[in-house]
Amino acid sequence: MADLFHNLILGFGVAVSPVNLMLCLIGALVGTLVGVLPGIGTIATVAMLLPITFGLPPVGALIMLAGIYYGAQYGGSTTSILVNIPGEATSVVTTLDGFQMAKQGRAGPALAIAAIGSFIAGCAATVLIALLGAPLTKFALAFGPAEYFSLMVLGLIFAVVLAKGSVLKAIAMIVFGLLLSMVGSDIETGASRMAFNIPELADGLGFATVAMGVFGFAEIIRNLDTGAEMDRELVQQKITGLMPTKKDMMESLPAIFRGTVLGSILGILPGGGAVIASFAAYTFEKKISREPQKFGRGAISGVAAPESANNAAAQTSFIPLLTLGIPPNAVMALMVGAMTIHGIVPGPQVMQKQPDLVWGMIASMWIGNLMLIIINLPLVGIWVRLLRVPYRLMFPSIVVFCAIGIYSVNNAPVDVILAGAFGLVGYWLIKHDFEPAPLLLGMVLGPLMEENLRRALLISRGDWSVFITRPLSAVLIAAAAGLLVLAVLPTLRRKRDEVFVEG
Amino acid sequence: MSDTPGGPPRQSVAPKWVRGPQDFVGGIVLMGVALFALWASSDLQGMHGFTFGPGTAPRMFAVLLLGLGAAVMITGLVSEGPKLAHYSWRGPLFVSLAIIFFAVAIRPLGLVVSGFAAFLISALGTPETRWVETIIVGICLTVGCALLFPYVLGLPMPLFPQFLVR
Repeated sequence: MADLFHNLILGFGVAVSPVNLMLCLIGALVGTLVGVLPGIGTIATVAMLLPITFGLPPVGALIMLAGIYYGAQYGGSTTSILVNIPGEATSVVTTLDGFQMAKQGRAGPALAIAAIGSFIAGCAATVLIALLGAPLTKFALAFGPAEYFSLMVLGLIFAVVLAKGSVLKAIAMIVFGLLLSMVGSDIETGASRMAFNIPELADGLGFATVAMGVFGFAEIIRNLDTGAEMDRELVQQKITGLMPTKKDMMESLPAIFRGTVLGSILGILPGGGAVIASFAAYTFEKKISREPQKFGRGAISGVAAPESANNAAAQTSFIPLLTLGIPPNAVMALMVGAMTIHGIVPGPQVMQKQPDLVWGMIASMWIGNLMLIIINLPLVGIWVRLLRVPYRLMFPSIVVFCAIGIYSVNNAPVDVILAGAFGLVGYWLIKHDFEPAPLLLGMVLGPLMEENLRRALLISRGDWSVFITRPLSAVLIAAAAGLLVLAVLPTLRRKRDEVFVEG
Repeated sequence: MSDTPGGPPRQSVAPKWVRGPQDFVGGIVLMGVALFALWASSDLQGMHGFTFGPGTAPRMFAVLLLGLGAAVMITGLVSEGPKLAHYSWRGPLFVSLAIIFFAVAIRPLGLVVSGFAAFLISALGTPETRWVETIIVGICLTVGCALLFPYVLGLPMPLFPQFLVR
């Protein structure tokens, strides 16, 4: 317990320094700003803005990136409520009741409750991270390569099972990502693999490059398909009366708490369940509600619960990243990318060797959530105006901004062309209903998995049974296998699809 | 790229016995990617006793992808699925052209020229572009980026054409 307070004090000490406060504020603001722009999801936002943090010191860069992340998420909720376009998968369910509320002229309370719910969830999640951080780190230090490998397998399986869509296709995407991560130099022998003597590929495919391609460029191209004038039913009413009434609060508070609990639990799972958390929270609220018929017609708890759940999950998904070094979802994968660029290898060692970095970031998350609530409610008017920016002007801007951003990472023109190529790959993936997020996850975990697999087999002298004879590893592998079997069983699959049916 | 979208998009191309053309084609392309990776990594050393060679893991993942691609393809054969989606050419073409132009031009011509030109090229990607406002926004964005990246963020890059600077 004393440890906890000590850590949190250390963290807040780092986070409230004027520079870091500024970075947190800028991150949250810019994140919201870009997140609000229609057609740009959270992952694309973080990928796009990644280069602007490169010039900063590591702590500042991570604080700013975290700010961008939850800013973007909040921006996504704003578009869900105001224009019925979910910025990303986690706010799909928010559109159901949020947009209805907006149509009834209650956009203000809907936005406010989304912010308040997110803040409460954020507070709980911050404490949870602080509580679980240290013990999990100790636990992680006991891991050998075999355990790490098994844990990553479990994480990837979780990511597949908790996601929407076909399990088979998601696994295929993960393996595609793993394969892409093999491009470049072999860690141990230095042999050049699948690089075709292109010097820029010698270091491997940068995943800022791939991420911007499959999430940024591909999205743009896809959106152009439907015509630049996307069908946007912007709520025309003026937003008046921002604050929710007492009755609204009474209705949403319990929903917020339930959403927070659900989201926190699902977020810790190595699969990172922000998406499923928001869907599950909505379904749950609807089930236990005394007036389920109100859902879909502007029920405020239908906004409060999923918004709290996705924010809680978004934050607790930092736990596997910070303690185990395993990114549970695509956004965390980008965070790993950012850390690597700053020379930090995420994992239990970071928690021990650079506590100021980890705890500073955790504390700044709480501050960032507070900032979101303070700055965003008065700024709703500006966000609404941003939503009116026509796509025909926005998309060339995004193209150029992304191109400059990718170029700035390594000053390499080849990277820009590669990102363009991955844009086309991403477009193709979308057309064939393959999710790009597992691909990115596979790409980040690829080198880690290979390294641990190699080391595990080296230690066991080539004996593959090491993964099932070491008890901890066996448990993890068994869990992964069990999960996979459950996911393809018809009964459970139906249940899983049911959760997503609301979207 | 072996995996860029190609081929005619019309669903009439798919024979009747393919019940889910989207998955069928998707699986085949993934298998193609896997085979390409197998070929590309064939020059690398494999297992060396019980230690991994540089080629072991790539080939392992490639074989895995081959299998998964085949499974996706079979899914497309045996179960009813969506038809092939419609591809358009205008957006992908001009956005790609803009990206390629930027990549080629950034070194010799600098950020201002290549950024603005890339903006205009990508604006061709939709018939809805109105040129006056596009040019104004393009100028604003270029100026903004020219200030943001090199000065505010401290990421050095050439701003103006080299022959002018010299």
